[in-house]
Amino acid sequence: MKQSKPGTTGGTPPPTPTPPTITRRSLIGSGLAALAAAPWAKASGEVPRPGAAPHVRRGLPQDDEIVLGVSCAFSGPSRGLGTELYRGSMAYFNQLNENGGVNGRRIVMKLLDDGYQPDPCVANTIELMQDERVFLLFNYVGTPTVTRALPVLKTFRDQQMFLFFPFTGAEPQREPPYDEFAFNLRASYRQETAGLVDNFVNIGRRRVAVFYQNDAYGRSGWAGVREALARHGETIAGEATYTRGTQYSASMRAQVEILLDRAPDAVICIGAYQACGAFARDAVDLGLHIPVANVSFVGSENMLQLLQGESSDPNSHTRWLVNSQVVPSYEDTSLPAVQEYRELMAQYDPPPPDNVERITPNEAYETFPQSFVSLEGFVNAKLIAEIIRRMGSDPQRSGIEEAVFNVRNYDLGVGERVSFGPNRRQGLQRVYYTVVEGDRFVPLTDWEASFGMP
Amino acid sequence: MRVHKLFRKTRFSFFALFGVIVLSVSFLSIRTVSRELDEEYVSNSRSIAKNIADSSVDMLLNRNLATLQSLIDQFVEIESIRYIYITSDTGEFLAHTFVPGIPEEILASDPSSTETVERSLPGLGDFIEVGSPILSGVAGNVHVGMDKELLGLKIQRAVGQQMYLFGIILVIGTLLSFWFVSFSARPLADLMAFAVNLAGDGKATGEEDVLGRDDEVGELARLFTHVADGSARGDEGT
Repeated sequence: MKQSKPGTTGGTPPPTPTPPTITRRSLIGSGLAALAAAPWAKASGEVPRPGAAPHVRRGLPQDDEIVLGVSCAFSGPSRGLGTELYRGSMAYFNQLNENGGVNGRRIVMKLLDDGYQPDPCVANTIELMQDERVFLLFNYVGTPTVTRALPVLKTFRDQQMFLFFPFTGAEPQREPPYDEFAFNLRASYRQETAGLVDNFVNIGRRRVAVFYQNDAYGRSGWAGVREALARHGETIAGEATYTRGTQYSASMRAQVEILLDRAPDAVICIGAYQACGAFARDAVDLGLHIPVANVSFVGSENMLQLLQGESSDPNSHTRWLVNSQVVPSYEDTSLPAVQEYRELMAQYDPPPPDNVERITPNEAYETFPQSFVSLEGFVNAKLIAEIIRRMGSDPQRSGIEEAVFNVRNYDLGVGERVSFGPNRRQGLQRVYYTVVEGDRFVPLTDWEASFGMP
Repeated sequence: MRVHKLFRKTRFSFFALFGVIVLSVSFLSIRTVSRELDEEYVSNSRSIAKNIADSSVDMLLNRNLATLQSLIDQFVEIESIRYIYITSDTGEFLAHTFVPGIPEEILASDPSSTETVERSLPGLGDFIEVGSPILSGVAGNVHVGMDKELLGLKIQRAVGQQMYLFGIILVIGTLLSFWFVSFSARPLADLMAFAVNLAGDGKATGEEDVLGRDDEVGELARLFTHVADGSARGDEGT
């Protein structure tokens, strides 16, 4: 792990100075005025600072740029997710832009922080569309945020705006009435939870409980577990919840005790790394010695860092962890995309964004050389660049859908070919399972040996 | 001094009457405010429950529970709403806002009932719960819990404002009563001094002030003088 440092992205030339942004700040109705007043609402209007990442948008779009609008968590308890996703994408865009960009245009990102909160995300989405005039929306993080941003896209449907590759496996952007506004790359939570349930049932762990974030994200995963269990003739053995934004320092004793009463064989967690880490810690400490599974959104490396950071025995709280992933292991260098990812991450080592408001200067963030989240950001960037390339030298929004639907059997280098179509708005389907070995998550090869019933 | 004793009764009557007014108005006010706020809360909550019930039909039919959760999360941000839960037609909890889990009291209740009930949930507080059926109950039910403590606080605040107003009226009334009593007592005190002097040496001081009045005090003073004169003439005749 590496301590973040402000400065230029490694090996890249200094940015072309652009004038400070003066946004119109037009408010759409009194409701939006209230939203815009939220402290997270805005991170634009920045003055370029020395050492800032060169492929991050700081003014209105230039002719030689294609601007992707990003609203995600760069602050708060889930900032690790937004930051690592951004870093993975930046590693690819840096290399791409240094080599001439896409059809002669650089790809840059306009970053707004929503702190993983729905209302700021709505305000940011409106700003990105109305004021920043971004080409498309990209790399949003989280279900509660995305589910609230989707109606904005529908409201302004005449603008033909699309949300690409949100970091969430929830159903709302995969199903009517909002599926037509989004394209997903990763597998869904329904697929992740179904895989976890199937594997648990196969090894005799039929009583599956759920620990989840009490919001749209948690409910999405809860619904996935419920459906998967129903296919095996089972119901959820027990459930406990936590409030979004809960920190690792919080006690999860009440939640663990609720589940202990239900005597489950396994627990599936649908949450973020701080709360799920706290739950995994307290579960072990209170004697809940059963497999504790997490879905990809948890941010495996961030959780592992918390769990191993404070204990004299680094693996005391990680023995029972099994995390599902939607990208292959970053250790699997047999995959071309993983090789490329590792090389570019090592070459550029993108720092966390330094132009987003509400990141307290002393709130240091330790980046990871590689992580599942940054690998996902990397493949997201790789595919969006390919889609833009297919749109030619003068890309228009009206041509986005056609370009996406032309992606058929495309080899992204992750061991699974990507296809899109009018009825297929999710590119990848595969789910991977990992367990902790030493200081990292590695592929799980034998469920019975690792988690079979005693 | 006797005159002031007489007015003590007036003062006592004034405060007694004021007390009766304050107590009766407060009692009536507490009852009215409590009933009206109660009705308003229940009415608003029923509207919210019905709104959620109407909005959630498609979400339930499309199994879109994430959006359903997102919907109730928005409503639970309303100050008085403390919890919302949605049950299916079979009584399964499909979405709720409880942390760290669904309370046992609610798990044990009849999820198909949409009657307004009062609940006391350990660790959470006291609530009024209203319900609304989704598609006449065939798709499930919505339940909305309102915080009774918050309701009580609002009633206290409303009544407290009235008591504050009564307090100001009491202070002003007391000052006015003191002024009124001393204003009213002064002629009587003069009359009393006049009568005492008349009964003593037959030469009253302040004679002209009292005798010159054209009110009942003046008439009494003149009557006293007349009686005293008559008495003196009688004494001289004997």
